[in-house]
Amino acid sequence: MQYQSQAVAKLYFTAAIGLFAGQILFGLILGLQYVVGDFLFPAIPFNVARMVHTNLLIVWILFGFMGAAYYLVPEEAERELHSPGLAVLMFWVFLVAGALTILGYLLVPYSGLAQMTGNDLLPTMGREFLEQPTITKIGIVIVALAFLYNIGMTILSGRKTVVNLVLLIGLTGLAVLFLFAFYNPDNLVKDKFYWWWVVHLWVEGVWELILGSILAFVLIKTTGVDREVIEKWLYVIIAMTLITGIIGTGHHYYWIGTPEYWQWWGSVFSALEPIPFFMMTVFAFNMVNRRRRNHPNKAAVLWALGTAVMAFLGAGVWGFLHTLAPVNYYTHGSQITAAHGHMAFYGAYAMIVLTIISYAMPMMRGRKAANSNRSQVLEMWSFWLMTVSMVFITLFLTGAGILQVYLQRYSDNPLPFMVVQEKIALFYWLREVTGLVFLIGLVLYIASFFVGSKDPEVAVEQAASPTA
Amino acid sequence: MLVGERSMTRGSNLPDTTRYPPGDLAVWIFILAELAVFAIFFVAYAFTRMQHVVLFDQYQATLDRNAALLNTLALITASYFVVRAVAAIREGRVEGCRRWLWAATGMGLLFLLIKSTEYAHHLGEGVRLSSNTFYMFYLSLTFFHFMHVILGVIVLLVLAARVGRGCYDARDHADVESGASYWHMVDLVWLILFPLVYVMH
Amino acid sequence: MSEAFTKAMARNIFYGGSLFFLLLFLALTFDTEGALPDRDNRQAITEKVAMGKRLWEVNNCIGCHTLLGEGAYFAPELGNAYKRLGGKAGIIGFIKSRPKDGIPGRRSMPQFNFTDEELDAIAEFLKYTSEINTANWPPNIQG
Repeated sequence: MQYQSQAVAKLYFTAAIGLFAGQILFGLILGLQYVVGDFLFPAIPFNVARMVHTNLLIVWILFGFMGAAYYLVPEEAERELHSPGLAVLMFWVFLVAGALTILGYLLVPYSGLAQMTGNDLLPTMGREFLEQPTITKIGIVIVALAFLYNIGMTILSGRKTVVNLVLLIGLTGLAVLFLFAFYNPDNLVKDKFYWWWVVHLWVEGVWELILGSILAFVLIKTTGVDREVIEKWLYVIIAMTLITGIIGTGHHYYWIGTPEYWQWWGSVFSALEPIPFFMMTVFAFNMVNRRRRNHPNKAAVLWALGTAVMAFLGAGVWGFLHTLAPVNYYTHGSQITAAHGHMAFYGAYAMIVLTIISYAMPMMRGRKAANSNRSQVLEMWSFWLMTVSMVFITLFLTGAGILQVYLQRYSDNPLPFMVVQEKIALFYWLREVTGLVFLIGLVLYIASFFVGSKDPEVAVEQAASPTA
Repeated sequence: MLVGERSMTRGSNLPDTTRYPPGDLAVWIFILAELAVFAIFFVAYAFTRMQHVVLFDQYQATLDRNAALLNTLALITASYFVVRAVAAIREGRVEGCRRWLWAATGMGLLFLLIKSTEYAHHLGEGVRLSSNTFYMFYLSLTFFHFMHVILGVIVLLVLAARVGRGCYDARDHADVESGASYWHMVDLVWLILFPLVYVMH
Repeated sequence: MSEAFTKAMARNIFYGGSLFFLLLFLALTFDTEGALPDRDNRQAITEKVAMGKRLWEVNNCIGCHTLLGEGAYFAPELGNAYKRLGGKAGIIGFIKSRPKDGIPGRRSMPQFNFTDEELDAIAEFLKYTSEINTANWPPNIQG
């Protein structure tokens, strides 16, 4: 760690891991409710548990992004953070607001929460992923503005690297697009149309810029490959991301009352959306193969490569599977969508946050570059357990989805939704068991922070040529 | 800062013209992606047309084929001018290069003008993307291409200005080659689009 | 000396390409806004429908159901519920009849204790939704 103020990232990363654990616990509750329908009913109905599951995901990823920014921006800009105090303050504001929101979900009926928080004044609640009370949304905007101010001032007054600029563009886009969360017309079609400007343009737009810049940073640090090479590939990859991804929004406009030409525009462009993810995979492996040093933090390199591969599989391949309009006609809103969502979010966004945590945490906890061997071995075990579990969760949900689509939508005698759900229960059981394995992986992951902390650190093996 | 390994850096004793492909690799990645989009759109057009031959023939007749032919000539001429511009800069004739680029820009603007009057005519008749399948494809394909021509013209303008300021010479003119490659792509796409959408029965 | 693959050109393509496709997206959005009145059934949006949408939202129905295919996949699609359940009476009857403590071992919709006016508003909202032109989605009545 080269700058004192980078240390604020530790708070953010710690919170991210804690919320991640919460997300997984609620995921397991949801998975069980799929097969034991009355589990925890009516105390925690499915919709509440799901809201907690998805909102925790978003919040911990945002904590991870902010932590990543606070860690890497000073190092790239070669100066201290503009205001470490503001960063700490905003951390507590965000954490308390987030915790209160989640407690509100769990302790108060949702309609009561809407009334308590004055949803009538500016109704924004009750839309998927944007369930937060309006005051929480306003809080998110304030935190985001303070965060951008802090990061922006640091970047603009320091060394301007491509990693920093791309990160700043991504984070600014994230904040700006979130403003569409406040637009909620009575017209359902327009509601849905602009809702995607938050959801799609986040995860298939600006978040990929953030992902790309964090990945580039970790690769620069761990491989010692020349910055110029990595930065130009970063530009090409994110260019392809936005070229395909912006119009690719059209793949959400097939069946929600929007004009039918979106079926063409959406299909053509989203068919190309796997390209940037594929380039990212090739890029990551290429850089590691061309490495000029063997970084002692092998776990971080594993996470970085894992991110590239899993993002390609989850977002690229599983996205492509059902993105073409004639296919999507049958798969839209089925377990196929759930399968894609799980692997894409884990592969692209959960894993990139775990990558930067893996890289940065040892140094913030006083190590020179890496954890002890025992700790790293445990972390790599957790990597494989979680990642392989997620692959199987995706495969089981895909199986469930294929059967669901056939029985409910494609066969000559389409069956009612609930009848089909019972027929595919086996896949849900398999998914739930795999989810438990994922939980074991997560426990090992957390344990890796406490194992071998007295052991010596893995030695730095310097390659022949010095790094730049 | 140490300059890293650059496998593609060529020896300085080689003349610039031997490089293949000409221009910047990044532009070629972009061009390939763009061609992929157009290719998918063309295939989609062809397949959809096979299913709605009557409809497509009927509304194809409402298009102004003469204007499109004129536009084809404008783009081909522009491409020729761009070729001359690249040839000029390779020989170090900066002023010649600048003039050819301006000439190409003029042809590009001519295309935009003619195409705009076509659009004005269609829009005046109430034609929109949702009017029917043929117009959906016609407007999508030509407007997507239209935007490429705008971008191409901007690229040519920027190049002409930079050439005028003496940014390039016989040895260093990769940007000119990059811009030229992009322009030829825009031209090539039209050469497929024109017969496919305007002429083919 | 010129490079075969420069960062400057990659940067130009990023900025230029992103702006290009952003503008194209805005152009398509503009056209969509013009085309929506023919498809989105806006003439049917009454105060009752708006109230129904608000109730749909503040009870987090999207947390279990899909609406036009978007939402959670735990409970049936409701974009065509008006047709599948046999009109407003069917919708209201179903919502009213949910047991307070659920159904042993099975998924069950909670009992929301809506007033008659609220039930009517929800049914009106689902009626309006069912008349949006969704390009023939879902493929059949089962949603």
